[in-house]
Amino acid sequence: MDFLNPYNLQVITFIVLNCILAISIFITLATGQLSLGHAGFMSIGAYTSSILSKNADMPLFIAILAGALMAGLIALLIGAPTLKLHGLYLAIATLGFGEVVRVILLNMKITNGALGITGLKSLGTYLYDWEKMLGITAQSLGVTVPVIKSLSTLVFMLLLFLLILFLTLRLNSSRLGRAFEAIRADETAARAMGIQVNYYKMLAFIIGSVLAGLCGGLFAHITTAITPNDFNYHKVVEILSFAVIGGTEVVWGALFGAIALTTLPEVLRGLAEYKMIFYGAIMVLVMAVRPRGLIGSDTLQKLFRRNKKHNDQPKGVE
Amino acid sequence: MKGNSISKSLLSVLLGTSLLVGCSSGASNPSSTGAAPETNNAAPTESAGEFTAKIGGVFILSGSSAAYGEAQKKGLDLALEELNETNKGKLKIEIQYEDTGGKKESAINSVNKLINQDNVVAIIGPTLSGEMLAAGPVANEAETPIFGISNTVEGINDIGEFVFRNSLPESIAIPTAMKQAIEKKGSKTAAFIYAENDDFSVSGFQTMKKTAEEMGLQNLGETTFAIGDVDFSAQLTKIKQLNPDVLLVSALYKEGSMVVKKARELGINSLIVGGNGFNNPKVFEIAGPAAEGLIVATPFSPEKQDEKVQKFVKAFEAKYGSKPDQFAAQAYDSLYIMSQSLLAAGTADRNALRDELAKLKDFEGVSGKLSFDEGRNPIGDAVVVEAKDGKFVPFE
Repeated sequence: MDFLNPYNLQVITFIVLNCILAISIFITLATGQLSLGHAGFMSIGAYTSSILSKNADMPLFIAILAGALMAGLIALLIGAPTLKLHGLYLAIATLGFGEVVRVILLNMKITNGALGITGLKSLGTYLYDWEKMLGITAQSLGVTVPVIKSLSTLVFMLLLFLLILFLTLRLNSSRLGRAFEAIRADETAARAMGIQVNYYKMLAFIIGSVLAGLCGGLFAHITTAITPNDFNYHKVVEILSFAVIGGTEVVWGALFGAIALTTLPEVLRGLAEYKMIFYGAIMVLVMAVRPRGLIGSDTLQKLFRRNKKHNDQPKGVE
Repeated sequence: MKGNSISKSLLSVLLGTSLLVGCSSGASNPSSTGAAPETNNAAPTESAGEFTAKIGGVFILSGSSAAYGEAQKKGLDLALEELNETNKGKLKIEIQYEDTGGKKESAINSVNKLINQDNVVAIIGPTLSGEMLAAGPVANEAETPIFGISNTVEGINDIGEFVFRNSLPESIAIPTAMKQAIEKKGSKTAAFIYAENDDFSVSGFQTMKKTAEEMGLQNLGETTFAIGDVDFSAQLTKIKQLNPDVLLVSALYKEGSMVVKKARELGINSLIVGGNGFNNPKVFEIAGPAAEGLIVATPFSPEKQDEKVQKFVKAFEAKYGSKPDQFAAQAYDSLYIMSQSLLAAGTADRNALRDELAKLKDFEGVSGKLSFDEGRNPIGDAVVVEAKDGKFVPFE
């Protein structure tokens, strides 16, 4: 019971949120596109859903979904010209996009400029309202209200995450996933094989952006207050480092990166002022020892060979 | 080889960006780890009545705004030392610090950790208003008093019953400064310049504009810049043509000081009134002699001729070798308020402490007199100061 305190629940909720973000960047990277626009798409999702839920009084889930779709729509618009670019050029273009979004948000009236949108209804409160309608109250379960709210948020997030993960794994082994992989391995060869490269790249970009928009909406309603500065350059780096530290070859790598990088600052909390030094040192060390990320496809193969009985990937679940 | 080149470009981007991140978060100051001497319990003569209260301190202790958090921590540590000495046998306060690094998620996590894992009776902080707006609801829901000492934007107290602050909202400080200065100089027209990408500056600007309207000042124009800008010639040239009687600047100290400096260089002779962001001795380092005549409202001035203030300034200088700023002063006061309310409650209970805090009346602190109204908004008066010979002196 001690484990179920809102602090632990909150930290795990952020971990799950970051896992979804990791999947979002993983899918874009799956076609070999280095997009740094994820914070931009996140902010589009966050602001769209916040304005809809706060100003237009829409149901929360519809608002969050609308935010995700909005991000996808914008991705469609900016994807057409930018996806012709490769590697670092694409990175710079999408990074510029993220900054443009941030500056627009700073200057619009409806987004309340730099002050941002505050006083949003939290996901936990919303879920708890539902539970109360179903006759489940904190008293009947013998826990405090904050605990049940955090717990509901976490359970909701976990279910959502598992659904997304399931779909991602299905995607990877489908025609689509194999096309992504072919493009990533060699774009010219993929084109020669008859794969419509531009179509698949666009698709990966949009799926990644929709997921980022979804995370934005969730982030807004977990923290209950958003400002344009929450989605600045640092956020991009954070999301990107999930994939880079964890590995970009298999989805488990990105997930592992998200879990590790979200947990580390909390575990290192005891070190107070020296926290960031250790954090940085660990990052440098990982990059020096495993430049292609902690978990690559070879890691999984090794595990399989050693442990043939297990058919699922045991490393990623943890 | 394609995959390899992608991972290479990923790596180079990450390395480059980690350099950037490293620069901005390298400012943390690892000195002064709050090892305040604890009260000597060797001879517990009156220990029957003594109780311990653990208080959480949530500040930015790393990252680009770490200077604010460090000042607050120093103020608290000094107050802790003094209080544990004077309250020996009655109350022992312990402070547990958590660092947010200026991040919202981290502020929420810190507050959750302090409330649920460390079982603190109350929390002082967080440093930024944005952090408070995210973390305040968490504390309020958990029925733990949370006490803001540097959150000046509107709407903080609306979060809930358990949210307090002793930082005067800008809606009190700015109008005080504007009224005193403008009445004295008889200004008729005003122009505004503010940082548009900073919540604190925008909020300050809105208050300035509202006050100007109420006072019947003619609004000649508004210009903006961004935090991080270094060149303000275009905006200030425009303002020079407008030739306002008073120039109202809402910004953080760094950009604000540069604006003041450039304005004087361009020959703008208007009276300049600044927002709370100017409450920093660094203003004189950056603006130099151009700061002369700058008027700012502040809850605290180390030059104030008041016995309590001078005692605090002396103790602070003896301990840290520098003069305290507003952030240290408000942190110092907050712990005295906590201690007073805890003693009145007689127990380290969150609800009892909240009720006592809400009753606070005429508290005499180094940052002035303080009471709370029904909405738990602080009532106090701001000191209006003027820059003179490299320091802020009370405005006359």
